[in-house]
Amino acid sequence: MKYTFLKSLSILGLIVLASGCTKNFDEINTNPNAPTAVNSGLLLPQIQRDMMNALLGETWGIGNIVIQHTAKNQFVNEDRYLWGELNGIWNNVYDNNRDIKIILQQSEANGENNYKAVALIMKSWMFSLATDAYGDVPYSEAISAKEGQNYPKYDTQEEIYNGILGDLKTASDLLGTSSESVAGDVIFKGDISKWKKLANSLRIRALMRISRKRDVRADLRAIVDNTATYPIFESVADNAVYAYSASAPDQFPLFSSRIGSFNEFRASKTLLDTLQSLNDPRMPIFFRPTPDTESSANPVFAGIPNGLNDVDALQYNGGPQFQSRIGSTFYEQAISTSGLSITKGIVMTFAELQFLLAEAAEKGLISGDAKAYYENGVNASFQFYGLTTPAGYLTLPEVAYGGTQEGNLAKIGFQKWVSLYFQGLEAWFDWRRTGIPALLPGISNQNDDKIPVRFRYPIIEQALNADSRKAAVDRQGPDDLNSKMWHLK
Amino acid sequence: MKVNYLSFKGICHALVLTLLSVATLSAQRVNGVVTDAESNEVLPGATIVVKNEGRGTATDSEGKFSLEASEGEVLTVSLVGYAPKTVTVGTSLTLNLSLSPDNQLDEVIVTALGISREKKSLGYAAQEIKGEDLTKARETNIINSLSGKVAGVTIVGNPSGIGSSSRITIRGERSLNINRNQPLFVVDGVPISNELRGSSGSSYQEADYGNGAGFVNPDDVESITVLKGASAAALYGSRANNGVILITTKTGKNTKGIGVSVNSTVSFENVLRLPDYQNVYGQGLGGVFEFKDGNGGGAADGVDENWGPKMEGQLLAQFDSPTSNGFRGGDVGNLFNTIGPVNLDQQLAARGSINATPWVARPDNIKDFFETGVTQTHNVALTGSNANGDFRLSYTWLDQVGTVPNTDLKRNTISFAGGYNLSPKLKVRTAINYLTNKSANRPNLSYGTENIMYLFNCWLGRQVNTASLRDYWQAGREDLNQFNYNYNYHDNPYFGLYENTNSQDINRVYGNVSLTYDLRDDLSLMLRSGTDASNEFRARRRAYSTQRFQRGSYREERIGFTELNTDFLLNYKKTLNQRFDLNLGLGGNAMRQVGRFSDVIAPELAVPGIYTLSNSRVALQNLTNTPYTEKRIHSLYATGQLGFNNYLFLDVSARNDWSSTLPSDSRSYLYYAANVSAVLTDALNIKSDILSFAKLRFGVAQVGNDTDPYQLATTYAAQQAVLGSPSYSESSILINANLKPEISTSIETGVDVRFFHNRVGLDFTYYNTQSKNQILPIPLTITSGYSARIINAGLIENQGMEVTLNITPIRNRNFSWDIALNFSRNRSEVKELFTDPESGQEVSNYVLATRYVTVEARVGEQMGNMYGIGYARVSSDPASNYYDPTGQNVGQIVYNSQGKPIPTSSRILLGNYNPDWLGGIGNTFSYKGLSLGVLFDVRSGGKLYSHTQTVGREGGTIEETLEGRADGYDLTVAGNGVIGEGVVQNADGTFSANTAKLSAREWHTTYTLGRGLIEGVMYDASFTKLREVRLGYTLPNKYLGKSSLRDLSITFVGRNLALWTKVPHVDPETSSNVGGTIIPGVESVALPSTRSWGVNLGFRF
Repeated sequence: MKYTFLKSLSILGLIVLASGCTKNFDEINTNPNAPTAVNSGLLLPQIQRDMMNALLGETWGIGNIVIQHTAKNQFVNEDRYLWGELNGIWNNVYDNNRDIKIILQQSEANGENNYKAVALIMKSWMFSLATDAYGDVPYSEAISAKEGQNYPKYDTQEEIYNGILGDLKTASDLLGTSSESVAGDVIFKGDISKWKKLANSLRIRALMRISRKRDVRADLRAIVDNTATYPIFESVADNAVYAYSASAPDQFPLFSSRIGSFNEFRASKTLLDTLQSLNDPRMPIFFRPTPDTESSANPVFAGIPNGLNDVDALQYNGGPQFQSRIGSTFYEQAISTSGLSITKGIVMTFAELQFLLAEAAEKGLISGDAKAYYENGVNASFQFYGLTTPAGYLTLPEVAYGGTQEGNLAKIGFQKWVSLYFQGLEAWFDWRRTGIPALLPGISNQNDDKIPVRFRYPIIEQALNADSRKAAVDRQGPDDLNSKMWHLK
Repeated sequence: MKVNYLSFKGICHALVLTLLSVATLSAQRVNGVVTDAESNEVLPGATIVVKNEGRGTATDSEGKFSLEASEGEVLTVSLVGYAPKTVTVGTSLTLNLSLSPDNQLDEVIVTALGISREKKSLGYAAQEIKGEDLTKARETNIINSLSGKVAGVTIVGNPSGIGSSSRITIRGERSLNINRNQPLFVVDGVPISNELRGSSGSSYQEADYGNGAGFVNPDDVESITVLKGASAAALYGSRANNGVILITTKTGKNTKGIGVSVNSTVSFENVLRLPDYQNVYGQGLGGVFEFKDGNGGGAADGVDENWGPKMEGQLLAQFDSPTSNGFRGGDVGNLFNTIGPVNLDQQLAARGSINATPWVARPDNIKDFFETGVTQTHNVALTGSNANGDFRLSYTWLDQVGTVPNTDLKRNTISFAGGYNLSPKLKVRTAINYLTNKSANRPNLSYGTENIMYLFNCWLGRQVNTASLRDYWQAGREDLNQFNYNYNYHDNPYFGLYENTNSQDINRVYGNVSLTYDLRDDLSLMLRSGTDASNEFRARRRAYSTQRFQRGSYREERIGFTELNTDFLLNYKKTLNQRFDLNLGLGGNAMRQVGRFSDVIAPELAVPGIYTLSNSRVALQNLTNTPYTEKRIHSLYATGQLGFNNYLFLDVSARNDWSSTLPSDSRSYLYYAANVSAVLTDALNIKSDILSFAKLRFGVAQVGNDTDPYQLATTYAAQQAVLGSPSYSESSILINANLKPEISTSIETGVDVRFFHNRVGLDFTYYNTQSKNQILPIPLTITSGYSARIINAGLIENQGMEVTLNITPIRNRNFSWDIALNFSRNRSEVKELFTDPESGQEVSNYVLATRYVTVEARVGEQMGNMYGIGYARVSSDPASNYYDPTGQNVGQIVYNSQGKPIPTSSRILLGNYNPDWLGGIGNTFSYKGLSLGVLFDVRSGGKLYSHTQTVGREGGTIEETLEGRADGYDLTVAGNGVIGEGVVQNADGTFSANTAKLSAREWHTTYTLGRGLIEGVMYDASFTKLREVRLGYTLPNKYLGKSSLRDLSITFVGRNLALWTKVPHVDPETSSNVGGTIIPGVESVALPSTRSWGVNLGFRF
């Protein structure tokens, strides 16, 4: 009897051993690899990097081509407007706004107004990219899965721009009202005054973007006439740029491309020819002489037309040996000193702001000297490339300011287009509004002779957010490359 | 006293005794012949075992046997299809025995917990493969050996030739998590890992490092039992939900004295199928090509497509043409940032001018690139047993050289199995396997520059003589610049395979030790501890001038994985009275899994050719965010079997798990199984010459399941530092702190009938599984801020049937013919997905995987449905943009004005990757000692997306691209250009035939509209394979005379000898591997599968 009892006891012991010891299970299932909270300064860097890289990706792959800064001589689909899925901006804007939202929540709770403002500026810039690329996109209900919203509605572009303009103003007002330093800011290294200038400069960009739809006069003047409260960029030193590094993994993204993948992009005849006619010294930075003549005494520059079919593109002008490549500072020289000073990720520059102000002044939206803004813009662009504006450049007939409003606007638009080299997406967004310079669709294009004006929504949205997407398409027009978004209508 | 037995010293002592003291009794040699009592024909293969002694033998091809037995010992003689017979050894040295054909079936099968049971008592479907089937016609990955042999099993692999990974599913897909559909692998009662760990990231392409279960050594396997349903889950836990592959290793039991067996196989592999390449046009564009620098310097020499000149032997400068200065055309380095910017003109001058060579097709340039693979496996095993114990010690050496140059695998396995009766009541057993697995290089997979098939199937110039690439450094720039035919986009394939290696070094031990103590005659207690512990080291090298790594790179990955299982099982077994047999078990298990990972990369190398982390030119990067994972499950279970009159059997089991991965309030979950087996022929006392045996079975099982560790709290993942600033990002997977365990419920019913003295046997199973509350990351639109949220969701219904049919049309004295057929069919339907209880928002489709196609689960549809963009077609629906009221053109593809097909505006169903049915047909012919086995494997239905087709067209590489260039590229020449078959929509909405002609290149390069419209590259994945041919001869021992050599057999084997399929270019039995997930239904320029021929030699002494 006792024997059996002992046996039973030992078996009971085993059972307890097997099932009872679950007390430390919570501890075992606590992830030792990752924190459950981090401060805002640790969230900011990767947001800035991811967005810059995403923007550069679409800039290189689509923006520079569609705006005819560059053209393709192989794998010409993009140049013929056979655009596959373009999800880089989309995915990165939303993916990174998750962390933006956390910064906003944390800074709100901690009274960190500077962080909050920086996050609002980043958010505004990011959503402006999304809506300018796609039109109506999720905004007010976006980033709310944690609150249970799995299917955010698509807001109208008008609502989004209202939100952006409001947030930027709030940001400008908040900056400097708390004392914390903004760690983890790789763009301005925590310089609050520069963030404030960026906030207001972006407001000007946004207002001009929607100026076809709305009288933006008062809003513009509220900034431009009141720069003590709402400072804007004052020089190229204020440029909002992301500086890459000489060593991996922070190199300029194109540096690690396959050589063929880089060289299938060539100088667009549209841009190259005009620069050449102006003897513009930016041209040898933008482009290289043709491979055939590069090391000869008389280097020749030659672009290729946009939108040729593969055979025509590759054989144009006698073949790739006679077609200018993209400047070496954007590739193998990207890690050199000169490359590092030019090949940057760009949020917005002083030059662009000056051209925006020149346009606004010329149109009478603001008071101010349109010519001075214009020439500041041109000079700032040269300065960006380490050049000084050549003597006589500003008096060339094609450049000189003065004359009709139409002529002046064309000159502003043209110089702005040039200055936005390697910012093809922004150049395209702006061109859709102004139509300057007059671009012709690529020759063998596959888009009914129309230059595209938007990206298609990611196909996965059809599976994951079908109803919301459909409502947007019903409102905005077919989900193709040609439907005009609100501010272009 | 008993404590002494349990001491370590005692066990060691006992084991040594086992090895040394194999008893020899005062025995005599008994000879005899076994015959059929009815026909008087001799019966080969009958076993004669000395009862309770473990000694035994089998009759030879003439029905004769000989064994040592003492007077008074009892011999049991048995043979399938005959009633067993026992005889007591008398004084006579000759024993002639006759067996009566029997309707009884006493097949024994290893089932859960390693318990051998009569097959007739099983209430669920199980199928067994004998070890011999695995070692004679062998596969380096043991899983592949099951192909075509087991009903209901689907296997897809990455054919890299050297033990590459395979995905196995039983009875289709039950889980919405594509990685959780594989069965549990259990070796000698203890689960082992079947992990497949991805290896991509930071520009490194996926390489196939094999899957955990693929490392099991076939030579040590006695049998594999496939438990198809969930019935065993109560015994093995949740992971058995998808079935169990039960591997039983060999032991020394039933061997006489000390025996040595030797088994050797040498086989040769070559490529089974390569694409049909075109051999008319070479590299270039618009009919033009001339090599200068491979980088656009010559005429179209930067182009990596085959739209160049016709290959007619004309003289053209080429990369391998000699130059005036004694170099090769391609000896010109343009890879700028390898050694700083290079002056191309100086280099061209140094190289000299190219002396043009004939421009000819190289039809075999890819076939010749592949080598003959050689696999050698040698096994020697030492066995022994006596009344008190047994042991088996085995060593296996595997050496494989792949068909892909410079790929190999070396595996050493030492296996020890032993048991000893420490006392009449206390037994100890152990089975331990230790293996080392090394590969100097495992090939890269998937679409991209690192996979040679990316080059071969899609881009390589058809004029390129691959032999010219063998000397892969540029003259004078060894270690710095590769030599290639094109420097714009590609890596020289030899350079890639010899310099950019992916090595692997695994040390792994798995096994267990158990003690069984008989508390009483009817009560025993087993204690067991088992482990599977492995350490893997992967080193990956990338040389300077690699396209994706201009300054080279080096990466080290370390993977440590340990699973420890500790069990007890209390077993009560009693024959209650004449009628009832009772068996009760109460068990417990504690499982602990720990993983340790590190993955560090030197993004650039300071000095070329030195592969160490300290040779990094820049800061090292850490690529893993989960250096440590741990999970525990504690379980208790109970089982009971009740037998009635040996014809009615009832099994019940229940298990409760406590998992560390679930919230404390739902951590504990209970599940159960019950099944019944009724042998009708016995119950109804049917004795018939026609119906020999009939059994009905029915079972029901419910299984609960947990999830991965750390799914309950949101964390922040460390990101790569940004310009020196450390950074974190919140996980994009939204967690759920209130997870519940998954539950699946299945029923299974079947019938097993035999006819004509068991010469025809039919086994039929129907099953239905309902899986609900699955824990899975349900994808969200990224606009919600998160890529997925973890939920309990879904109801998947899975049903199907399995049929096996065994026929022996001929069986006589010298000749027999056996046919084994298996057939299975499975349907998995998505019944429900997820409705948010708070918002009422409903998820109606779920994306399981995305790679070219999206694999989606949509409510009301089949699992495995693939979606993508298709052709816009003329419709009879007035709402369609392409509505044709006349109905004449309905179904036609609509083209745009430029002659290109219009894509659908949304994704459409393109097919399902699951087969309609699977089948296998095995034939075995035996004549005396000679036997011939032929196995065909059939898969019918299912769709496959072919990336080889998509990109092979763009590159002008495959045969199809000759369409539209019958005679060059001039569109005015007849036969040139392609007009797509279909209609265009006119301005007034009517339709007329498409007449727009496209150039061949335009047609083929935009065949999929930039890889977007993929309807045209979906294929019926049906195939038939000649899976196995085996011709063996066993020399009758009498010819071996007095030599100690016994059982000498020689077998010639061929595997995967022929393939019949409608899929162009590739073996449909391949798959795509993304981040450790094998995606079925997608072919992504996989390495070609191989056929093998070999010879196996076995003997013992």
